[in-house]
Amino acid sequence: MAQGEILAGFLAPHPPHLVYGENPEQNEPRSQGGWEPLRWAYERARADLEALKPDVLLVHSPHWITSVGHHLLGVRTLSGKSVDPIFPNLFRYRFSLDVDVELAEACAEEGRKLGLVTKMMRNPNFRVDYGTITCLHMIRPQWDIPVVGLSANNTPYYLNTKEGLSEMDLLGKATREAIRRTGRRAVLLASNTLSHWHFHEEPAIPEDMSKEHPQTYEGYKWDMRMIELMRKGRTREVFKLLPQFIEEAFAEVKSGAFTWMFSAMGYPEIPGELYGYGTVIGTGNAVMGWNLQREGLSTLGREPASLARLTD
Amino acid sequence: MPVVSAFLVPGSPLPRLKPEVLPWGRLAAACQRAGRALAASRPDAVLVYSTQWFAVLDQQWLTHRRSRGVHVDENWYEHGDLPYDLHADTELAHACVAASPRIGVQARGVNYEAFPIDTGTIVASQALEVGTPERPLVVASNNLYHDAATTEKLAAMAVACADEQGKRVAVVGVGGLSGSQFRTEIDVRTDRIASPDDDKWNQRILQLVESGDVAQLRALVPDFAREARADMGFKHFYWILGALKGRFPGARVHGYGPAYGSGAAVVEFTL
Repeated sequence: MAQGEILAGFLAPHPPHLVYGENPEQNEPRSQGGWEPLRWAYERARADLEALKPDVLLVHSPHWITSVGHHLLGVRTLSGKSVDPIFPNLFRYRFSLDVDVELAEACAEEGRKLGLVTKMMRNPNFRVDYGTITCLHMIRPQWDIPVVGLSANNTPYYLNTKEGLSEMDLLGKATREAIRRTGRRAVLLASNTLSHWHFHEEPAIPEDMSKEHPQTYEGYKWDMRMIELMRKGRTREVFKLLPQFIEEAFAEVKSGAFTWMFSAMGYPEIPGELYGYGTVIGTGNAVMGWNLQREGLSTLGREPASLARLTD
Repeated sequence: MPVVSAFLVPGSPLPRLKPEVLPWGRLAAACQRAGRALAASRPDAVLVYSTQWFAVLDQQWLTHRRSRGVHVDENWYEHGDLPYDLHADTELAHACVAASPRIGVQARGVNYEAFPIDTGTIVASQALEVGTPERPLVVASNNLYHDAATTEKLAAMAVACADEQGKRVAVVGVGGLSGSQFRTEIDVRTDRIASPDDDKWNQRILQLVESGDVAQLRALVPDFAREARADMGFKHFYWILGALKGRFPGARVHGYGPAYGSGAAVVEFTL
C-alpha cells in the first residue's frame, strides 16, 4: 500500500450564492452572475487541486450539525436534490457523489481510539447538507473524486469554544492517522466562512453587487488580520488569536472545520495562498490553500511537528 | 376568536421513530391524544411554528401547496425514514406573508419542490394527523434573530389573517423544554432528563402552564431558557401565547418525558 499523504488543505467557504452566480446546469435558479472575485478565486483553487490529483476529498461542513459525536457519511453513493433552507431562491441543486467509505470508517475508528464519539451514517436516503455540496461543487464541479463528509459536532456551541475546538483538534489527528493508514492521497476542505455578521434582508436582485459589502468594519478588519497571518504562515499566531476572532467577528470557524483541517495537516507554519476574498450578504469569505506537497510536508510517515493542543 | 385549540408538542423525531422505547412511546401516545383533541376542535387550518425551521433572512412561510418526500433526520437517521405528504393552506400563508410588514417583519413565501421541511414540522404533523387536505398547515419559520415579543406578534398576526378569511384555526408550537442532551451513546431504555435541575425546571414550567399563570411564566421563562437551555428560548410557547392574545385559563399536560436527555412535553391549552 502506498504511504498516505495529505497533499493540501483548502479553506473553502460554502455560500450558495457562488453556485448561483456560476449558473451550473445542476442548479435550477438562473443568475446574471455576481460574486465574481470569489468565483474566480475558486477557479484558481480548482486548477491547483487538479494538479494535485488526489484520491479523495474530505470535507467538514458546519451545516451537518450533530449532537452525539462526530458523524461521517457511510453510504457509497448519495444523490438527490439539495435545496438550501435559508436561500431556496438561489440553490436547488441536483447532485450525486461517491463516498470513500473505507477511509470514512478509518476516520471513525481512529477517532474512537482518541476518545471521541464517532458514528457512521448508513441511511441511503440521507440528505447531504448544502454546505458540503456547495463546497464540493465550487472546488471540483466535475464530481469525479470520492468524498469523505464529516459532520460538525455542536460542542463548540453547546459547551464552549475551547472544549469544542479541542475535540476538532482530536478529530483532525484521527483523520490524519486514518489517511496514513489507508494510504490515501487526500485533500482537506474546511468549509468555513471567516467573519459571519450578515445582512438580515436580501437585495431584490441577489446578485446586485452594488449592495454587497462587509456587514461590519470590525469583521472586515479581523478577516484581514487573520488572512495576513495565514499568508505569512504564522499558524501559531492564527490559533492563538482564533478564540478572540471567533468571539469578536462571530466567525464561522467556531464550528470546527478550520481547526480540524490544520490539526490533520500538523499545523504547518507555511504560507497559505490567498486565491481571493469577498463578502456574501456581508460575511467575509476567503478561498485559501496550503500546498503541503509543494513544501515537502505531505507524506504522513511520522507524527506531525506539533503545536500540541492549540486551545490550551 | 378563530382559535379553536392550541398545543405544544415535541420536535424530536424519537417518539415517532422509536415508540417501542418506553419513555418515547409515552410521548407518542400523548401526541395521539392531543391529535384527537385537535381533530375534535374542527379547525379549517393549523398554524404551526417549529423551532427547527431556522431562518436568518426575513420571516419564511411555507407557501408550497403540497410538500412530499422522504425526510431523514440528520442526527437520528439510523432509526429510519420519515415519509411525509403535507398540505398547506396557501391562501392563508400568503396572507401572512403580505401582513408581516405591518408588524415590522419582512417576510417571504417558500414555494419550492424538495424544500427541506424540518424534522419538527414533519413529526408533529404526523403525530397530530394534520397537514391533511382537511386540516392543512400554515407553517412559520423560526427566525433566529426574532425575540419572544416578535414571535408573539407573528402568531397574533396569523390568527388575525385567519379571522379575516373566516377560518377556524388550531395553533401548534413545536419544540422541546430543557435542551441538554446526552452527548454520548446511551442505553435508550434508560433515557431520562439529563439533570435533576432540568427536570425541576421543566416541572415548574409545566405546572405554571397548567395553572394558566401567564404573569409568572413571563417572569420565569427567561431564567428557564438560560438555566435549562430551553429549546430556542421556548419561543414556541410565545407562538401559542401570541395566538391566544396573551392569556389562557389553564392547560392539560398529556405527557412529559425525556428525548435523549432533553425535556419533551405534550400540552393542550384550555381556551
